Amino acid sequence: MTNQPSTGLTIGRRTALALVLLSATSGAALAQQASYKFGLAMPLTGGQALYGNDQVKAAQWAVDEINKAGGINGKKLEMIVLDTQADPQVGIQAVNRLISVDKAPVFITAWSGVVKAVAPIANDNKVVELSVGANAPDIAKLGDYVYTTFPLADVDIRAVSNYSATTLGKKKAAVLFINNETGIGSAEVYRDTFKKAGGEVVAYEAYDQKATDFTGPLLKIRAANPDIVHLQGLVSESPQVIAQARQLGITVPITSYSGIYNPKLIEQLGAAAEGVIATSLAPGVDDLPAVKDYVARWVKEAGRPPNGLPYTQYLYDSPYLVAAVFASLDKKGTPVTGENFRKEMLAIKSFDLPLTGKVTFSDDHTVNKPVYLVEVKGGKWTGKAVVNK
Amino acid sequence: MLNATVISQILWTSLATSSYFVLFAVAFALVLKVNKVFNFAQAGMMTCAFYSAYVAVRVLEFSGPVGFVAAIAGGAAMAFILERFGFSVLRHRRASPMFVFIFTLIASQFITYAMTMIFGTWPTTIFASMFWPVSIIANVAVSAWDLPALGATILVLVVLWAFLRFTRYGQFMIAVADNADLAELYGIRKDRVLMVSMLVAGIICGIGMFLYGTRAQVQPAAATELMLFAVAATILGGIGNLWGAALAAVVLGLVQNSSILFIPSAWQGFLLYAFLFFAIVLFPSGFHLPERSKRLKRTVVAPVVVSDAKEG
Repeated sequence: MTNQPSTGLTIGRRTALALVLLSATSGAALAQQASYKFGLAMPLTGGQALYGNDQVKAAQWAVDEINKAGGINGKKLEMIVLDTQADPQVGIQAVNRLISVDKAPVFITAWSGVVKAVAPIANDNKVVELSVGANAPDIAKLGDYVYTTFPLADVDIRAVSNYSATTLGKKKAAVLFINNETGIGSAEVYRDTFKKAGGEVVAYEAYDQKATDFTGPLLKIRAANPDIVHLQGLVSESPQVIAQARQLGITVPITSYSGIYNPKLIEQLGAAAEGVIATSLAPGVDDLPAVKDYVARWVKEAGRPPNGLPYTQYLYDSPYLVAAVFASLDKKGTPVTGENFRKEMLAIKSFDLPLTGKVTFSDDHTVNKPVYLVEVKGGKWTGKAVVNK
Repeated sequence: MLNATVISQILWTSLATSSYFVLFAVAFALVLKVNKVFNFAQAGMMTCAFYSAYVAVRVLEFSGPVGFVAAIAGGAAMAFILERFGFSVLRHRRASPMFVFIFTLIASQFITYAMTMIFGTWPTTIFASMFWPVSIIANVAVSAWDLPALGATILVLVVLWAFLRFTRYGQFMIAVADNADLAELYGIRKDRVLMVSMLVAGIICGIGMFLYGTRAQVQPAAATELMLFAVAATILGGIGNLWGAALAAVVLGLVQNSSILFIPSAWQGFLLYAFLFFAIVLFPSGFHLPERSKRLKRTVVAPVVVSDAKEG
């Protein structure tokens, strides 16, 4: 008898505890359903942070706009941002966390070294890795769960090489490239395409990654007397290479890729920048009104255009792609797993994106996009041609 | 490809671009000789010098000469901080040379990260434009940067030589370099001399980084890579031999650039490490011109020590 109330109380406490636990669990479940998560692993610190931070900012703008417009069928899109420092080892740690802790079914990353390093983790865990900005050609062969929304190196390098040999009518090209993975791969693509188009590669010179002077390889190029020079370097040394080329009397047009497409190049080189041709894999301000508004927003909010404008355009667009897949899964009531995300993404196949246009996933894990050629003319970057349309 | 014009151009450009390498090598060799420290934190002094000039010219929009002074001040300021709050403290705590060496590595990285936090990682130059007009002299392209850079380097070397040879503190530095304990016994204030040595190295780094930053882009981690060349030159030039380090920096630059005539350009960087490898294995004490310089040092040091003792 004396124990009766006590027992009743005990049962009551247990019931209350169970109810609390139940409500907490269902609350968490509801909360989980109320948002769709994806990861973004980019360099926020280290040598590439200036690009990485701008790209993250662009992606965050897109996420905010998607949520402001109602999210994914009324549910919130949530982006978890982690730092990779553009370092494969740090990238592996970040992606492990996105998969194990945050349970993201899809993540976005960039920088070829990182994209490659984390690919086995994505494949093993059946989580979709979207490479947005890295361009090493072998990214297409990293496994079933690795896709790119960004055209790989062979697309723009092939386009500029072909354009030089055919439209510009150049017969003798010299190729100067940095002696690293990206430089070597892209230089080979340029050389092979130029030869295939009927041209001759009269000089093919690499320079060391730590070089501070480029006289030697440039003199070799000058001696070969080319009609055009293709430079495949990094943003850090490319202006100096072009400056030295002009100082040494190499006056022929110099082509490069999207890495040098930056207003700063003109500021640094002045008249020596005239005739430099770069590629862009995204429409410019003159090609699409939305890009004009986007750049204007940067100028208004950050006081400057973004570093690496085309890359930020791709990053801006990537949450829209992810949101479209989530929305489709949500509509069908399909559980949101990496496996289902991949299936749905491939089923949709083509996505119309606000700043980079239409992207279609090919069966070989590549995407094909128009290449915009821009040239320094009269002290500013001007559109020269759109190829590979 | 191999003709007189090409050879002359390579020789000239190598000579011109060796100007800042000579200064970095001399600064490194000076601290190694006097302070007995493999000062990898010199990269921090160089970074600080560059960004001081950058702030003066690009942010505050002062003229080039003000930027030059700012580079010197920045290099010297960082040298002061390192000596006062780093090396001096470690010396008084009797830290082992290995520990001091590790400190220099950590300090270098610390400064690099601090500069990254402040200035970001976008490579930049001291002046907005990095293109220097060119004159063709005897078929050789001579840029407007080349002659002032060479002139400044020669001037620095002459002033340094005169400082070490004729000034009191210069002679104290040689005395401390020779035998720090003995110098102290004669009344030379070792700590002060070591500070002066660091300051001189900081000033030289400032001039070197101003030259480099007006010709090439710099980001916070760039100085660490430039340092390797200075280390190589110091080892090749003979540890403790300032002028040997300067000469080695010129020769290394010439060999590296001339190698393009015989080997693929991608191998140029490899040459530096190949030189280092063989230099360390075959000449662990470096190449020496010992007898003449040692006699010179003794004749210089002796009267100085006496005069200092009298003053004290």
